[in-house]
Formats: sequence, structure tokens, C-alpha cells
Amino acid sequence: MSASFDIGAPSKSGETFVLNLGPQHPAAHGVLRVKMTMDGEYVMRSEPVIGYIHRMHEKMGENRPLAQFLPNTGRIDYLSALHYNHAFVGAVERAARIEVPPRAEFIRVITSELNRISSHLVWWGAFLLDLGGFTPLLYAFDDREKILDLLEGVTGSRLTYCYFRFGGVRDDLDEGFAGRTRAFIAQMRPRLKMYRQLVTDNVILRKRLEDIGPISPELCRKYGATGPVIRGSGVPYDVRKVEPYSVYSQLDFDVPVYPEGDCMGRYRVRMDEIAQSLRIIEQALDKLPDGPTLGKVPRVLKLPVGDVCYAVEAARGRLMVRIVSDGKEAAYRLKLRTPSFSNMSLFEEASRGMMLADALALMGSLDLVIPDIDR
Amino acid sequence: METPVDTSQIVKFAKLDELLALSRANSLWPLTFGLACCAIEMMAAGGPRFDISRFGAEVFRPSPRQADVMIVAGTINRKMAMAVKTLYDQMLEPKWVIAMGNCAISGGPFVFPGQYAVIEGVDKLFPVDIFIPGCPPRPEALIEGILKLEEKLTGKRRWPVVKPE
Amino acid sequence: MPATLEQIREHFSGMDGAVTTPADHAAKGYDLDVALAAGGVVAAAEYLGGIGFSLDTMTGVDWIAQNEMEVVYDYFHPASPLRIVVRTRVPRDNPEVPTVSGVFPGANWHERETHDFFGIRFAGHPNLTPLLLPEDADYHPLRKDFVA
Repeated sequence: MSASFDIGAPSKSGETFVLNLGPQHPAAHGVLRVKMTMDGEYVMRSEPVIGYIHRMHEKMGENRPLAQFLPNTGRIDYLSALHYNHAFVGAVERAARIEVPPRAEFIRVITSELNRISSHLVWWGAFLLDLGGFTPLLYAFDDREKILDLLEGVTGSRLTYCYFRFGGVRDDLDEGFAGRTRAFIAQMRPRLKMYRQLVTDNVILRKRLEDIGPISPELCRKYGATGPVIRGSGVPYDVRKVEPYSVYSQLDFDVPVYPEGDCMGRYRVRMDEIAQSLRIIEQALDKLPDGPTLGKVPRVLKLPVGDVCYAVEAARGRLMVRIVSDGKEAAYRLKLRTPSFSNMSLFEEASRGMMLADALALMGSLDLVIPDIDR
Repeated sequence: METPVDTSQIVKFAKLDELLALSRANSLWPLTFGLACCAIEMMAAGGPRFDISRFGAEVFRPSPRQADVMIVAGTINRKMAMAVKTLYDQMLEPKWVIAMGNCAISGGPFVFPGQYAVIEGVDKLFPVDIFIPGCPPRPEALIEGILKLEEKLTGKRRWPVVKPE
Repeated sequence: MPATLEQIREHFSGMDGAVTTPADHAAKGYDLDVALAAGGVVAAAEYLGGIGFSLDTMTGVDWIAQNEMEVVYDYFHPASPLRIVVRTRVPRDNPEVPTVSGVFPGANWHERETHDFFGIRFAGHPNLTPLLLPEDADYHPLRKDFVA
């Protein structure tokens, strides 16, 4: 046992032990297990073990007709379920050449951006809980309840939405929705300012996050990491801008990019994204056209033989659905490319040599939802 | 694991029993065992709008040694089953289990012919006291489940049942 | 700046046994489809990695009727909307593909998952153990002849 207590130096004896983090642990990400080989307080090697919430989504995609897979999409990443709805219905619409009416597209954008905000709020609260701050979680959940009220009025559910249908959305917005949403945006902006003053500018948070967990753009590219992870490393990659889908090309918004590559950069990207989402929702409400909310869909939907893919920008990164079809009612193979899977795979390399608390800050800044990794 | 001896047949403490049951019911400390989607509704139940702190149950303990009730919120996997059973065994008596959500009750939406990974219900692993259906159940449903558990402990229900109009 | 689609197509057409098919992005979601033999996937990965592409995902497909298994590599670029798909087929009774985890470390997990689901072996992979299935799993559930 080393008697050296130099702060910042790994132990001179070089003895290591294995610390098992999870699969049940209070950092509220879900069932993730990380086997960490520790040298004192430093993580020498970390090996994530996943599969504890593997729920066979891809197998279910082969077993049931396409429409029956829609509820699954809400459960893969339950915090941003509408994005997953969007990717799946987008892939089917692309393959079957189903037209989506413009009103439905705008409704999809409005609800998806509200979902993005609520997902980022949960991330924010849980991340600060990991770092030791209990109060922001309560504020985040308070704001989130207001978004959930809005979305519950439209979709009928609070969390695992199944609102999008092939060709549009299930129900139209009611008359009061635009007024309630604008009222929410009006009260959310001062809240964001309060969060910035109390939390983002907080010196303790700065010391915990600045220069911690550097991830270079090259590391992101080698692992396929996307979303706020790659945008926090200086690369302006956002599927809504690079491979535009739905009506995002008609809306004016910025993609926040921070070059530092540390936890603070990723944190700032997500906080700015909440503000940008509020902008998108306002513009979409202004531009919302009248019309039907569901296009024409054949009674029995069968996709042509071949494969098709569709990518969206989910709250956590690039989400792509690939459907291989043999002309039957169910997909022959349904592949879900989920953002947390790729984001987590770089944790092993990025956390080498970090102190344990910093490694957990890095893991929190990746914004993982474990069923998104395991599917 | 041997079954605990039921001392209520041998020794009766009357008022002390009632007092113990009341204090246990009013301070159920849950184990943070959110697995999947239901975990978020459990967190929302601990949040400011629904606030299970009113019932003494907001102190989520990460360690099973310090928890009274295990709220199984989410799907149990074959890979995870061993860990869940270990956690249950590590909890100290008296302990209760709430199965929250359809997955914990019977495997939920992930049961299909040919399924290979999901345990169909947490009561296949250990006894469950309260079942809360829903996918996910609303936080109010979780609170109702906690009230039912309190009723199971004390014999009296804290608040009257809300009658739908 | 990444290479243009024509340059990429030209490079792949020059590879032995490669069949390139351009695709309409709006109809398929990708721009170029390259079908080649299993031995060429590493060279394809090296080329695409060299011009800035990133590995999106790897998909295994069990074509039981044709007694083959297919591995599909999707590539995306952080600065361009180009999407390239590389696919290869191997015989079903002895499916083996060389690993690309030397070029893209992210493929480490994708290959483990594909092996979990289909039993496709990735030659040269440092740690081909179950990723999503239990550690002692010996079944491959997404095969078409899988019985639980």
C-alpha cells in the first residue's frame, strides 16, 4: 500500500483493484455496468458491460407488421420518444412513397422540439444530481411537467409517445395549443436565464466541468459519436442541417458548437439547444398551415423489396433506422442505429487516467439512456 | 433463504405493533431501482408536482441495506435477473416489493412468441406486494400504490379513495 | 472537404469485384451502394476513413433462403450529406468477415453485437464476446431459424 499522498499522482506501488460500477447505481442513467480497474483514485481501464435492459426491439421489428412496431419506438429512448417515432415512420414513408401533408410536418417539428427540451431538462437535472447538486433536478422536473401537460393534451401520453403515424400524426392540435405553448415559451426563457446565472456560471460547476473529459473530433469520428458530443468538440454536425428532413430547411435556427471538447462544452451545447428549440417552436407555430394531418396510406402496408434508411437528430445524437424489406407486412430486418450506443463506445478510451469523479462527470456529459444502447 | 419466523402467532404487542406499522408505513424508503421508462415516472413522482415526500417516501436509498421497499420500475432481463435477486436478498426485513409498470408485472409489451431475453414478471423471482399497471403508470398511480402498501401495513387507508364522477 | 460522389464511385469501381450502384438519397436514404467480397471491407473502411467518413452502423442480415449472411456497413460524413453503404455476403454455414475495428474503433461494439445476433465471426477482433446477450449465451437470436 503506497504511503504517498501527493494530490494528482497515481500510487507509486501501481497496485490496482477492480471497482464495479452498477448495474444498479444512483447515477440515474439506468442499468449500466462499468468494470473499472482503479489505481487509487485513477481509472486505469474501464470496461462497460451492457445488455442488462436488452429488450429485443430489432427482433420484434421482424415479428410484427410495421404499424405494430410503433409503440416500440417510444420505448427505445423514452425521454425523446417522438424522435424515434419520426425516424421509423420516416423510413416507412420513404420506402412506400407516402406523402405527408405540410400541417402534419409542422406539428411533428413542434412536438419533436418540445420533446427535445424535456429530454435536455431531464439530462440537466440528472447530470447535476451526479455532480452532487440536488436542487436543479426539482426545477427541471417542474418545467418538464409543463411540457408534459402540453404534449399530453396533443398525444395522450406523458412519456412514451406513439403519436406519429405513417403519413402524418394521429390527431390534430386543439385550438388552445398554440396559446398554451406560447405562454410556456414566455415563461421558459426567464427560467433559462435563471439556470444560467445560478448553475452554468457557478464556479463550482465550472471547476467540475472545465477541462474535464476532453474528446477530440477525431475520437468522435472514429467511434461514430454524434449529437452534443461531437458539437461540443467543435464539429458542426447536426442531421437537421447536414441531411435535412421534414421541414427543418424552412426554419431558421442555429446549431450551437463549442470547440473546447470538455464536459463544459457539451453542457453548454445542450443548454443552448434548449433556447434554439424554443426559437424553432415559435417559428413553426407562426408558419403552421391549415390542412389535413394524415396523408393517404394503403390499407395493408407492404414495403417494396430492398432497403431504406432514414436519419433524424434525436436529443442524444444521430438516430438512423434501416429497414430491409422482402415485400411482406413485417420488415425482414429492422436495424436501429442509436446515438447512445456510439457515444458510449468511446467512454473506454476517453476515461483512461481520469479520476473517478471526473469519469462520472464525463459519463453524465455523454447523456446516456441505457435502453437506447441495449435496445 | 429460510422463511422468517412469524412471531405474530406467539407474541402480540397490540399498540406497539400498531405504532411500528404506522411508523414503517409513513417512512417507506425506496431503493433506487429504476430500470427503464417507469423510472422516469418514479423520478417525476419524487418531483415537485407529485411529491411522494408527503408520504415519507422521497428518500431514495442507493444501498439495499438502507431501503425498505424495492420499487421495480422497468423490464427485468435474463442478464439482470441475478442482480435483482441479489438486491432483494440484501434488503433487510421487513421489506416490501412494488412491481411498477406492465414489464414488472408480466413482461409488458416485450412478450412475444420466440422472445429470448425478458423475464415475464418480477414475481417469478420473488414475492411482490403491490402491482401497479400502466405503461408507464402515471405518478399518481405510483402514489396510489404506495397508499395501498400503507394500507396493507397498517390496515387503514390514509386518504379516502377518489370516486370518479 | 470530402471527395465527391463521382470520385468515391470511381475509387470503388477500381476495386476488385466491387459493384457500385448510385442511389437516390430522397428515395433510399443513401447515395452510393458498394457490394464487394468480404476480403475488401477493410480496404473500403480505410479509404472512407481517410477521406473523413465515420462508421454509422453495421447491420447483419440473415438471407436464409439464399444460404448467405450479409453485413452492411453504413458510413456518414460529419461535413457532407453523402451517405455510402458497403455490403458483403458470406456463406451462412461459415460466416467470417475481417474486422474493421483497427480502422474504426467504434466497430468493436458493432461487430460484437452482430456476432451476438447472427454468429458472424469477425477475424482479428480483439474481444468477440457477447455484448448484449448474457456472458454465457450460445444462441444467436436474430437468425431466421432461431427457436427460443
